[in-house]
Amino acid sequence: MGVIRGFFAHPTVRRGAQLIAGAIFLAAALPKIADLSAFATSVHNFRLEPVIPIVATNLLAMTIPWTELVAGLALVAGVRPRAGALVYTILLGAFTIGVIAAMARGLSFECGCFGKASAGTVGAKKLMENLAMLAVGVVASVERR
Amino acid sequence: MDRWWPDGTETGSRLWQGVLLIVATGSLLGIAQNALVQRGAPKEALAWRYTPPTLDVLPDAPADGVANGGTAPSSPSAPGTGGDMNDPLGLGGEGTGFDIPDVARPLQIQITRVKQFFDAKKATIIDARDPEEYAAGHIPGAINLPHDQVALDPDRLEKFDPQGKPIIVYCGGGTCEASMNLGFALVAAGKHKVLVFMGGWPEWVTKGYPVAKGPTPEGA
Repeated sequence: MGVIRGFFAHPTVRRGAQLIAGAIFLAAALPKIADLSAFATSVHNFRLEPVIPIVATNLLAMTIPWTELVAGLALVAGVRPRAGALVYTILLGAFTIGVIAAMARGLSFECGCFGKASAGTVGAKKLMENLAMLAVGVVASVERR
Repeated sequence: MDRWWPDGTETGSRLWQGVLLIVATGSLLGIAQNALVQRGAPKEALAWRYTPPTLDVLPDAPADGVANGGTAPSSPSAPGTGGDMNDPLGLGGEGTGFDIPDVARPLQIQITRVKQFFDAKKATIIDARDPEEYAAGHIPGAINLPHDQVALDPDRLEKFDPQGKPIIVYCGGGTCEASMNLGFALVAAGKHKVLVFMGGWPEWVTKGYPVAKGPTPEGA
């Protein structure tokens, strides 16, 4: 156990995870920012209205990509990287819940997670992808001692 | 560490302060960007309040081709209903194969299903773009019904015969108002099972699916 903990607490490993997480968020943010209305449609496809009012869809579509961008920059630049990692982890956690909720309701659509171009259909593969990215976020959030 | 910014040692309230800072900065930038776009090109920006598209999405058929177990296949809901947001089409377990609900409004169809219909020749495909764009490249077998010409000549819609097959309308992608409008026009002209392929021509080309070139043959 000690070895595993030591590995994940290692500064290089944490920094590496932060760089990967940052790169993922930058790659996710830029295509969305370039086409906000496509992303708004993606957000709508998740059918969040039982939880989030449908009129807020556009607001989410405006704010999520830029929050991803700022968090991604913080992670890559190493400025407040822990905060960036936490934002990354929280957002990804929310996305993952969205994917699970969509799957549970049998919704099937292009998730728009990385913009329209590199779309992937919401499903088991997407879920695995998200869980893997989430794991990166957890490692990146480890406290520096 | 001599740097003025926390470099990973931040904890507790300092950490959450950073989280808040990132979220607030991101949100403000996003809203600012959209506001700027709105000033320059109102059509490309997002409105403050979201208005849902009027088209519901046709669900994908299960990959194994077997009807979804579990959910009882509720009959396609009566036209005009569909207030249930969890099951807006009243589809329940349907969506298998090439059966699509016969509702009195167009539905969105996504590329994977468009390809299925195309491969099985189970749909009549309409290209809503201009004849020039159609001639430069279109989905093989698609019929060119330019939306603006149709708007001037409703008879063309009345005469149009989908031969009992569902109709898939596509155009140049994006928000694709052309195919959306044509979809509604087709329904208004009494056609059934009208599907709008929002991704349209760009998505079709991107996927590397077959294309055909040339204008509509005379007399078609």
